[in-house]
Amino acid sequence: MSTTSPPAISLPETPPIDVGGAWHDWWSGTRNVDLWWTLAWYDTVLRYRRSMLGPLWLTISMALLLLGMGPLYSSLFDVPLNRFFPHLTLGIIFWTFFTTTITDGCNVFIAAGRYLKHGEFPGSVFVWRSLARNLLQMAHHIVLFVPVAIWAGIPLSSKMLLFLPGMLVVLVNLHALSITLGILCARFRDVAQIVTSVLQLLMFLTPVFWFPEKLPNRARFILYNPLAQMLDVIRLPLLGSLPASGTWWFLLYFTLLNVAIAATAYALNRRKIVYWL
Amino acid sequence: MKRLTLETVSIDFPIFGGRSKSLRHALASAATGGRIGREAGVTVVEALRDISLDLHDGARLGVVGHNGAGKSTLLRVLAGVYPPTRGRYSRVGTVSSLIDPMLGMEPDATGYENIHLRALMHGIPRREIARLIPGIAEFSGLGDYLEMPIRTYSTGMTMRLGFSIATSVRSDILLMDEWLSVGDEAFRLQAEERLRHLIDNTAILVLASHSMHLIEQECDRVIELSHGQLVRDEVIHTPEESVMGTGR
Repeated sequence: MSTTSPPAISLPETPPIDVGGAWHDWWSGTRNVDLWWTLAWYDTVLRYRRSMLGPLWLTISMALLLLGMGPLYSSLFDVPLNRFFPHLTLGIIFWTFFTTTITDGCNVFIAAGRYLKHGEFPGSVFVWRSLARNLLQMAHHIVLFVPVAIWAGIPLSSKMLLFLPGMLVVLVNLHALSITLGILCARFRDVAQIVTSVLQLLMFLTPVFWFPEKLPNRARFILYNPLAQMLDVIRLPLLGSLPASGTWWFLLYFTLLNVAIAATAYALNRRKIVYWL
Repeated sequence: MKRLTLETVSIDFPIFGGRSKSLRHALASAATGGRIGREAGVTVVEALRDISLDLHDGARLGVVGHNGAGKSTLLRVLAGVYPPTRGRYSRVGTVSSLIDPMLGMEPDATGYENIHLRALMHGIPRREIARLIPGIAEFSGLGDYLEMPIRTYSTGMTMRLGFSIATSVRSDILLMDEWLSVGDEAFRLQAEERLRHLIDNTAILVLASHSMHLIEQECDRVIELSHGQLVRDEVIHTPEESVMGTGR
């Protein structure tokens, strides 16, 4: 009973890999900035709607954490406070950003289940929503660095501009990682638990609190974890120094690999995700 | 010309229980030489089997069937949610589904904010939304309550808001799971009229229902699903209202 005419939308049976379709889907979600930004905005605002200080609590609780840890760890590690405090501030703020983004990344598709099962939504909308929400949260934390930097006497320098390309690299990687993990966690529900445990371990293997130069030479290999490199590339410029060129090379290769994996995973599984929710 | 076509579409749901959805089992089956992950040992439920449909402008299709026969799955396939496991789905025209009018309601957001959010979800551009909001607000009849978080609304009020938003966008193809009936007596009449208008202006209607009476009233063709298969497909009388946009 059916004759064929050129259709606007056509979904033949799932082909094994669908690169063009995946690209189109990713892009149509990505350019719908209005939608994912608004969703992220409401995620942030609504969480604090009934509290008097609102999202300012994000800033306050981070400030308390830093004030509590700074003096204590600076004497434990025997580093002068004006050197340690800025290091710790950025370390904790960026580390929180990494881990909350990655753990949220595990849930991007599962949490969007109701939408995805109701209509055609590009999956990337929900990946951007999670990234934007975490960026908003980090924005509430990062303001704390300003008084810390002034107090510690970090001079404004042109090196700080390197923060921007560094942040771009970080965002690309977190986005790609969220796609990969989001798919993996929708299919295998234990992956989220694995990710949480790995992140916990990585926190100690990454110079969030301690200084990498204190590491004995034989242990320097642990700095070659992608999160440590990503931390370097955004923290060092803000502290007025330059990330090593090796860091940029490492991240270049890692980013290529990371994006390739995410693209493949998306092209292979994009249309199956809804069946797993 | 609007069109909605299914060609021998089958939908298989993999059922990952506590057992096979875990990584351990995929790894275990890989280690023991079974086929890695994919279909190995996964229970599959065949939700729809070999469904063919070809709907054109003016089609008014009713879908009946017992619980679990596949009506909702069929609506979702028609909406483009589930890409067919086998077969082909194609569509010309925009589609909107009134399957879940409460989709994406945020309890802590105000009525206005919810209108805004939901409209964005429907893919309406920001400028258009600003234009739509007064109409939606007025129709819902919630007045100043729209400034309040919808957490404070009664169930009926929330439904009214959801209904007002969901029915504010016109589309070429309309999918409905049962007739939407919300609110008190006064609102129901108003809602009825609005739904009527929406249906009369849509090119293709697919209505799933348990009420044969409703389907006879709205549709000119009925299909029956049983265990995911098409067991009946017949033309019933033409509904009183002539199809497709007489009023325009």
